[in-house]
Amino acid sequence: MGVSKKSITRRDFFSVLGWLGLVATFGGSIFGAFRYFLPNVLYEKPSLFKIGKPSDYTIGISQKWKREQQIWVIKNEKGIYAMISICRHLGCTPNWFEDRKLIVCPCHGSIYDINGNVLGGPAPRTLWRAALSLDPIDGQIVVDFNRRQDLEPKSTEGGLFVDESLREVEPFFLKV
Amino acid sequence: MDPGEGDLMNNLWSRFSNWITSTPVWRAVFRHGYEDTPRNRSFIPFSNVLYHLHPVKIRKGALQIRYSWGMGCISFLLFIILTLTGVLLMFYYVPDTRRAYQDIKDIMAVVSYGDIIRNVHRLSAHGMVFAVWAHMTRVFLTGAYKTPREFNWMIGVVLLALTLVLSWTGYLLPWDQLALWAITVGTKMAAATPFIGVDGPFGPELGMRPDNDVKFMLLGGTEVGQNALLRFYVLHCVVLPLVVAMLLAVHFWRVRKDGFSGPR
Repeated sequence: MGVSKKSITRRDFFSVLGWLGLVATFGGSIFGAFRYFLPNVLYEKPSLFKIGKPSDYTIGISQKWKREQQIWVIKNEKGIYAMISICRHLGCTPNWFEDRKLIVCPCHGSIYDINGNVLGGPAPRTLWRAALSLDPIDGQIVVDFNRRQDLEPKSTEGGLFVDESLREVEPFFLKV
Repeated sequence: MDPGEGDLMNNLWSRFSNWITSTPVWRAVFRHGYEDTPRNRSFIPFSNVLYHLHPVKIRKGALQIRYSWGMGCISFLLFIILTLTGVLLMFYYVPDTRRAYQDIKDIMAVVSYGDIIRNVHRLSAHGMVFAVWAHMTRVFLTGAYKTPREFNWMIGVVLLALTLVLSWTGYLLPWDQLALWAITVGTKMAAATPFIGVDGPFGPELGMRPDNDVKFMLLGGTEVGQNALLRFYVLHCVVLPLVVAMLLAVHFWRVRKDGFSGPR
């Protein structure tokens, strides 16, 4: 360490050059092998998909796309939204029970209401809603599955709740 | 920087490096130091798993490139490269006749560095076939197969055959026209094996049919299809590399025991 008065010898120069070459070779190989494991093309289902026109849906919860796209399409008096059926606890697929008007996860028993609020069980947050847009050409709803609304819930006696007025905003809510 | 400061830095550095080299971990890894005595020089290859493949002492003449050509070492290096790149390729390749070809296209076109990895695998395979042949030729020309190395020569002959079979089984995996017809031709030749092939001498007399001879067993069918692709994949990726690795261990063990051949 420190400043040396010695000049750099030919041996020093080629030693450094050799080590740099070695580091570049192995570093490059390791980087290439690492990058190789991040695929550029996926054969998964597209994260952008169409689910028909808003007028195709009636007031209430639609299970039409649950099996294929893992979403519920829910329409109320003000508009329409797509709620993602992935449990916020550990990622299982919860089910809608028409008789109890509840969403219940089969894995660890998380319970949600029709808005995605947590009424019981281990779920730490409310259900996601996906971003929606309207295709300007055919007027169909386009769902962006990976763009999700995830608002900070309020903890109350009855569970974890998010105010519905905060949720019903663009692009996660289509007014009709 | 004034001289006092430099001394301080030197002092800190030497204290740090002394501490590092005195830790139990360091001393467990670097067991023998640089002490230049015949005993210590023998200990280093003796107690190291990589160096112990070498004889403890080798005559200087045996290490000359013009004597050994370095082909055994190069063959082994290529085998290591082939194993590493082969494992990487297995992450994107599925031996299914409906998608194998497309998987190779993806590796070549859309997977990052996939084309480099596949080409290194392919060229190393060609190189290994060449290097093993050259190694064998050198051993033959220098008479290195003679006593006491006859046993290792026999292991080497088996390793040469396994290298060729590895190359051949890998040939089918891209599932293109070249692959299909190369294996069609190769297995047709297998059917001409005496006694156990339907087209071979005494084959039909011994009850060989197209659906029970050696070709049938190799392909898992009467034509190059899904069973053949899967069989060649398992042979290429699991069975043959394991057998080669075990025989290599024996091969190196014999080299160590018999010593290097060559001039003094």
